[in-house]
Amino acid sequence: MKLYSSLVLVSFLGLAAITVGLFLTIIVRRAIVQYREREFASRYREIEVELLKLLGEPGVDGALALADRYAKFPHVLTDVLLNYARSLWGGERAKLSAIFDRALRPRFRSDLSSRRIVRRLRAARLIGFFVDQADAAVIQGLLRDPPIVRLAAANAIAHSPSTEAVPIIFRAFETDDVTNAHAYKNAFFSLQLRAENGIREALRKPLDLEKLEILIEIVGAIPIIALAEDVAAFAGHPDKEIRLRVARTLGSLRLPDMLPALLRLARDEAWEVVAQAVKSLGRLGSPEALDVLTQALFSRQWHVRYNAREGLLNMGEAGIARLDQVARQTLDRYAADMAAMGLADAASKGGA
Amino acid sequence: MKPGLLVLLNIFTQGILVYFLLINVVYMLFVVLSAFGILRHFRWTRFLQTQEIFSSPMSKPISIIVPAFNEESGIVESVHSLLSLEYPQFEVIVVNDGSTDTTLAQLVETFSLKPVRRIYRKVLECKPIRGIYTSSEYPSLVLVDKVNGHGKADALNAGLNIARYPLFCAIDGDSLLDRDSLLRVVRPFLEDPERVMAVGGVIRLSNGCLIRPGQTVILRLPKNNLARFQILEYFRAFLGGRMGMSMLRSMIIVSGAFGIFRKDIALACGGYNPKAIGEDLDLVVRIRRHCYRKKIPHRIVFVPDPICWTQAPERWRVLARQRGRWQRGLLQTFHFYGRMVFNPRYGRVGMLALPFYLIFELLGPIIEILGYLTFVLLIFWHKVDYPFAFLFFIVSVVLGTLLSISSIFLEELSSKRYPRFRDIFILGAYSILENLYYRQFLSLVRAKAFLDYVRGRNVWGAMEKKGFERT
Repeated sequence: MKLYSSLVLVSFLGLAAITVGLFLTIIVRRAIVQYREREFASRYREIEVELLKLLGEPGVDGALALADRYAKFPHVLTDVLLNYARSLWGGERAKLSAIFDRALRPRFRSDLSSRRIVRRLRAARLIGFFVDQADAAVIQGLLRDPPIVRLAAANAIAHSPSTEAVPIIFRAFETDDVTNAHAYKNAFFSLQLRAENGIREALRKPLDLEKLEILIEIVGAIPIIALAEDVAAFAGHPDKEIRLRVARTLGSLRLPDMLPALLRLARDEAWEVVAQAVKSLGRLGSPEALDVLTQALFSRQWHVRYNAREGLLNMGEAGIARLDQVARQTLDRYAADMAAMGLADAASKGGA
Repeated sequence: MKPGLLVLLNIFTQGILVYFLLINVVYMLFVVLSAFGILRHFRWTRFLQTQEIFSSPMSKPISIIVPAFNEESGIVESVHSLLSLEYPQFEVIVVNDGSTDTTLAQLVETFSLKPVRRIYRKVLECKPIRGIYTSSEYPSLVLVDKVNGHGKADALNAGLNIARYPLFCAIDGDSLLDRDSLLRVVRPFLEDPERVMAVGGVIRLSNGCLIRPGQTVILRLPKNNLARFQILEYFRAFLGGRMGMSMLRSMIIVSGAFGIFRKDIALACGGYNPKAIGEDLDLVVRIRRHCYRKKIPHRIVFVPDPICWTQAPERWRVLARQRGRWQRGLLQTFHFYGRMVFNPRYGRVGMLALPFYLIFELLGPIIEILGYLTFVLLIFWHKVDYPFAFLFFIVSVVLGTLLSISSIFLEELSSKRYPRFRDIFILGAYSILENLYYRQFLSLVRAKAFLDYVRGRNVWGAMEKKGFERT
């Protein structure tokens, strides 16, 4: 027992010392953190005031002087630049770029190729606003990093005004593993209409189904009307998931020209595709779709009936009249119920 | 006294010492892991702007399901705060689970709700729904009034049947979310949409805090002793335990008070189990089991900065009921899914997470109580080495204090901390105090829960709600 007692006594002394030490660390750390936060805030305000002054001035001399003065505060400067870069364009953004080039570019470059993920991540946040052609290869490397860096890099590249950004991102998408493909959705969306050519070319390549699905979906999400025909070409694709996404995208594009493709999809063998096509037809609001939507109310599938109801509600008075007809018929109770509930919904929203 | 019995008691006592050492080493390892995890998280998100997530088309819409049973004291405040969350697209589904107080009436009146005929698919079994209410003033709010029965799981299943969006967030009726909580908690779904099945956030206690209109929580320590002890406990559980488990990729608990799930995977697993006492734990374990069996790559993640504020019980009896229920929930999970324990087919969950909960969380209180009983027996037989026993007691208090101080340290690393220096000293004092009677009380409650479960006493037990304090 004596050995035990000595061990326990030593443990007690050791643990007590660690506990008190940790508690003191908390107190000291809190004091330091609060001091740093105050310093950061005051420095931020200082830089902000000077930046706002020079934004109205011609030339970038003032910006360069500011960069020289605050280069020794890279974290604060980075924060200011990131916050202002989001809302400034043209000549004013050029001033921010000048500050960045002068004070932060070397640090940014070393961060980009750093072995530490935190540094790469920090650099990734800046790419969107201050990207340079020379960094393209390193940036592409970030797209193979862990998800958090990849997403940040993809977003940042997409926000970049550089024309080089688009090919970089599409090359990475095509060559990356399919499990990472979803991470590119954000980037494609952020590219908006700049993504058009990249998507068109990618749609013509033999891609994994998942990648194809993403591209088709993104056309509808942006939306890129010019790619409607390219998407409609997949309406006869053997994979159900692809047809389903085609139906959804065509609905999002809301082009009357796409009516025939959607009518074809509304007769698809897979009920999931039919349900989506019916929904899209409702969005299109074309009177020519009235019959198909009315017929869909009699489908055996609940989702098809539901979407048909929603579609008819979207079509205004003509749609409501059809719902009324179906609600009154007695041959199919399910169709009648669905139509009646649609009418009740319309009434509660003041639509009937 | 027979010598054989004494030998047995000695062996048992030494076993308890080894267990004590092991459990504390494991908890300290968790603290260290969590400290790394929290630091890494805040470094990684240093330049993250929630607006990026807000404006991303890939931020999937979320259905927030709020089961409410007799929540009249705080439900209106909760719903107001939920409706003002920052998120591009979400709906709030309040499920009134047959409340016998004014929960339904308050909601209907405050939000001008009107009964509607809403079509939904009854994918999951639940008690009958008496009515669905919506409001033209608050289009993203849906109130479901259902018959009471089968507890919170049944209400959540009713909400899931009504939910329209691909992600759902289950939160308690007496909870408040930070304004940007959803934006922060959804980030893992954006980064890894295929593999992330569920994400849990931090639960913090709102006792003593002031709620400013517009949902800012002003951090203040509560005056109630019990609530102060629980603050330390929540630090340990969330910033220590969950973060550590997440670092080891072995999370099996996403708190029922605040967690986001993929609806498709929850439905594929049959939704919430109405028979489960701890429906949150049960669902996550089933999701894990489903994914392992179907060989679906999956991740369940803990994110330390989205915060949900909830109220802790301030009375011993209510606390005992709550903890008893949690312990029975844990026990039931092992009863239901015992085959997963030490089963390599279930990866880290089978080989690490479940054994951890079994050995340290489930058996811990029983072993502790048995230790106290042994000590009493040894006193009775005059076989106690008092200097050693005293030293051991002091060491256990210091070790317990060290764990709690470590959790305060973890809170210091996180984004929201009690602002005043005085608060650190108060929490420090409570770190010592909790080892003197609070921890023993909880062990007793949890050991009793074990017996209750074996005897088949599995009542939920009413909770007292106090409502939030406003500035």
